[in-house]
Amino acid sequence: MELNTYQQEAFNYQRPNIEKFGKKNMMWSLFFLVWILIGGYALYLQIAKGHIVTGMRDNVVWGLFIVNFIFFIGLSYAGAIIGGVLHLLKVPWGKPIVRLAQMMTLISVIVGPIFILLCVGRFDRLHHLFIYPRIQSPMTWDVMAVVTFFAGAVLFLYMALIKDFAVYRDAKMNIPKWKQKLYKILAIGYRGAASQKRHLIISQNLLAIIMIPLSIIVASILSWIFGMTLRPGWHSTIFGPYFVLGALYSGCGVLIVAMWVYRKMYKLDNYFTNKHFSYLGYGMMVLGAGYGYFTFSEYFTDWFGSAKWDSEVINKLFSFHDYGGWTLFANLAGIVIPILIVSIPATRKPGWIALSAFVMVIALWVKRYLIIVPTLETPALPMQDTRMEFVKYSATWPEWALTIAGIASFLLFFTIISKFVTVVPVSGLEEVNFPHEPHHHHHAADAMKDEIKTA
Amino acid sequence: MKEILIKSTFKNILRYGWILLLCLPGNIFAQTDSTAADSKEENSLISPALDFVIVQKADNTIDLKAAVKAKIKGTFIKLPLLKISFFQVSDTAEKLLGFVITDQNGKATLNVKNESLLMTKDGSLNFKASFAGNKQMETADGEVAVKKAQLQITPVKEDSLLTVKVKFIAPGAADSAGKDLTIGIFVKRSINPLKIGEGTTDENGEVTIEVPANLPGDDKGNITLLAKIDENETFGNLEASVTQKWGIPVSAKLQEQPRALWSVHPPIWMLVTFIALMVIVWGHFIVIVYELFRLRKEEPHLPNTISNA
Repeated sequence: MELNTYQQEAFNYQRPNIEKFGKKNMMWSLFFLVWILIGGYALYLQIAKGHIVTGMRDNVVWGLFIVNFIFFIGLSYAGAIIGGVLHLLKVPWGKPIVRLAQMMTLISVIVGPIFILLCVGRFDRLHHLFIYPRIQSPMTWDVMAVVTFFAGAVLFLYMALIKDFAVYRDAKMNIPKWKQKLYKILAIGYRGAASQKRHLIISQNLLAIIMIPLSIIVASILSWIFGMTLRPGWHSTIFGPYFVLGALYSGCGVLIVAMWVYRKMYKLDNYFTNKHFSYLGYGMMVLGAGYGYFTFSEYFTDWFGSAKWDSEVINKLFSFHDYGGWTLFANLAGIVIPILIVSIPATRKPGWIALSAFVMVIALWVKRYLIIVPTLETPALPMQDTRMEFVKYSATWPEWALTIAGIASFLLFFTIISKFVTVVPVSGLEEVNFPHEPHHHHHAADAMKDEIKTA
Repeated sequence: MKEILIKSTFKNILRYGWILLLCLPGNIFAQTDSTAADSKEENSLISPALDFVIVQKADNTIDLKAAVKAKIKGTFIKLPLLKISFFQVSDTAEKLLGFVITDQNGKATLNVKNESLLMTKDGSLNFKASFAGNKQMETADGEVAVKKAQLQITPVKEDSLLTVKVKFIAPGAADSAGKDLTIGIFVKRSINPLKIGEGTTDENGEVTIEVPANLPGDDKGNITLLAKIDENETFGNLEASVTQKWGIPVSAKLQEQPRALWSVHPPIWMLVTFIALMVIVWGHFIVIVYELFRLRKEEPHLPNTISNA
């Protein structure tokens, strides 16, 4: 695999990250592993004793697990859309972000569905979803959608990596033999021949084209699990686009945070520049405005219509004795703050943008909780002579432990992948001179710039 | 030094972690089965309860019906596969009429002919059902004594009015015995008979009860009407039935369900959309994987001279 000087420089700069695991990363990984083990114990309890160890009961049948499922799977769909769009539009500055987006796509489509499995009481009947599917059920649609999307996400990340695998294979790095062998297998003999390039471009374009509508469809299907029921707060025509937008928005936030963390961790300031933060920040701002509009529209129609059960849910959401505080947080931190931070030039800095993105991601997680739980606590049939724990959901420690274990495995995957491939893709990387930007200092001399071309 | 220690710990976790994973299902299967009986209970014998009733029918036969159940861990369980022996008890001896093995519902029924039965001195029929017990269960039995009687049912159709005339006959009993008896009229349904009317007998032991004209019957319109006296102190249970073509014909064949959201068959458009979407997406995936195979095949066979080191 031939690289130009800029690409070669990018590779040499990141090479130590693949060659050595590093003490800090080891500590991090161990820390995550401890949390995963605690989650494993909670899972053991849940399997041995049943769902009684969770806070889920007859009325509130879904809790933290489904919230996490929507959250992670949303990130995945967002990664596919952002990655696909950046690839198809051939945005030159987007190249370093595409890999992050694809990593997020794959990792969250692995972590997300684990949470839906945790909701299943009868694992032994899991295969019935495939052998006795009911085509009319949104559940069946979602099972098929997630499985299909998973296959797409694997291909999506893998194809973008083939060229890089070829680079790693040829680089004679100081790495164990099995790793070298693995790179060789994964590079599937790519040498950069014209015909090989053509095959790769065809398949990459095809996949990017199919992944964008696929993500939109599967995100809508996810929303229909709720939207197709007649429950207050769920039965809404805008739920499909609302979920698509919410997914994109939170995905954009996670991308910004990931960019910031990797930039700090591997000193990638030359590749994840301030401009990258500004551009993704603009994206976040626009998505935030759209998401805010949908949220307002959703609450306003429900409130104005004053249908009995809708009002009940709205009252719960806006009463400070109930979920009012959380609603305020979700909308303030999830909509207002990110928009303000990006729109004010003084705070349009990587640190501020990343912080607001981080808070926004948490707010969007809370928002998912507010979609699920208050509605389930408001059943259309009156609840009489029932225990308080059946009426009001409160998550138990195994649920929290498994949630934290999910987040830990999400971060662990990110750590491990960054030790296996370069965070910034090497092949196909282009140097971009942003307009009105004082020129960045590179390790390469300015004289080399003329030679720099797209691979 | 520290790093080596951490590394080796990490390696050990990787090396032995799978053992933990393997142990997990073992623990799951090691859960105790809450339905299994305690070892304590295995030592003491189960005491079954035997319910015994008889039904005198219009065709001069008698059904001897026994049902066996036992209370195990607080719930009644019907006991199948037990041998129940039925006896006729006369003044002097017990005569074995036959035996029946209980079915899945713990029930055993023996049908005997009326003529062959002996009456006791006071003119009643005495029966006994008994279970002899086994290694786990104690013995159980039940006795019933009734006076001989019979119901006769006659369908009557006058213009469009449908009725049944039921007559109570008790040879050897006082004439007044047949007066003021409550008789229920039922129609046979697939599981239990459905009550459609009730009446009280006059001094002749007769009663006429109306039958609705709109009852669903079988595919030919036949319905089976049943006259019953339940648990009379002297005569026990009496039954008589007649089949008439008085119902509305209803085919027993299952009707094909339409394609709908609620039925087993999804609407065609939904099926087509679903399959089309799956084929389009997976078709793309297949093409992409095929392209990757071709990419691998077309690897140039040149020694790789470019080094990135």
